[in-house]
Amino acid sequence: MARMKFLCDADRCIECNACVTACKNEHEVPWGINRRRVVTINDGKPGERSVSMACMHCTDAPCAAVCPVDCFYTTADGVVLHSKDLCIGCGYCFYACPFGAPQYPRVGNFGSRGKMDKCTYCAGGPEADGSAAEYAKYGSNRLAEGKLPLCAEMCSTKALLAGDGEIIASIYRERVLKRGYGSGAWGWSTAYKETVKT
Amino acid sequence: MRKDREVRDAKPAIDGRRGFLKGAGIAAAAAAAVVAPVAGEAQATESRSDARKARYRETDHVRRFYATNRY
Repeated sequence: MARMKFLCDADRCIECNACVTACKNEHEVPWGINRRRVVTINDGKPGERSVSMACMHCTDAPCAAVCPVDCFYTTADGVVLHSKDLCIGCGYCFYACPFGAPQYPRVGNFGSRGKMDKCTYCAGGPEADGSAAEYAKYGSNRLAEGKLPLCAEMCSTKALLAGDGEIIASIYRERVLKRGYGSGAWGWSTAYKETVKT
Repeated sequence: MRKDREVRDAKPAIDGRRGFLKGAGIAAAAAAAVVAPVAGEAQATESRSDARKARYRETDHVRRFYATNRY
């Protein structure tokens, strides 16, 4: 059985934030919530690296372990989803998540933050696939349509990979083996020549 | 003293406002009770096993994605 994974090739990510924008647009994510964001280290300095982060759909998800109402569930293909009908907005999952994935529509204390929202791997929620209720709560269900998460599908530098963990790992392995210089992206050496070492 | 009178005078207005809000709350709850079953039928939640089923399929669309990400 395929396990869904995200993999961000940090050598290719150019911090364009298109994945963040695409996600917000695809799922009509409300103001104040970013299901995905780009984290940059050593910003503006040599060795700067960016990586696109969202829920990593952990195998043994800590958010699910701490949830007092057990609103999380993992699908057979390894996607961690949650039910907004059960969520009480306690915020425990936010503290447990090492990636800061769970987000809340409002700033407040226990229970006043509203229902938790996070990346669904474009796989909706417990409502019927493709229903209006599912779209309103969780956004579109691209996985059920035979597609992959939009953030990865429209990444211009192909930095963000999504899909079957084994296949994307083999793609990344191929890249690392072939690379040997720069990012391996087409035109990298022409654009940066020797000025940027990786 | 004057303040007490103001508070006493204002009381009926407060009662009226609270009464209105109480009434509005009951009306909203009654409306929701009438609407809820209809909405529930239209937005059926999947059973636990259905919700957990795998949705990923290796379609042509997905294969094209993999192909464009390889060298």
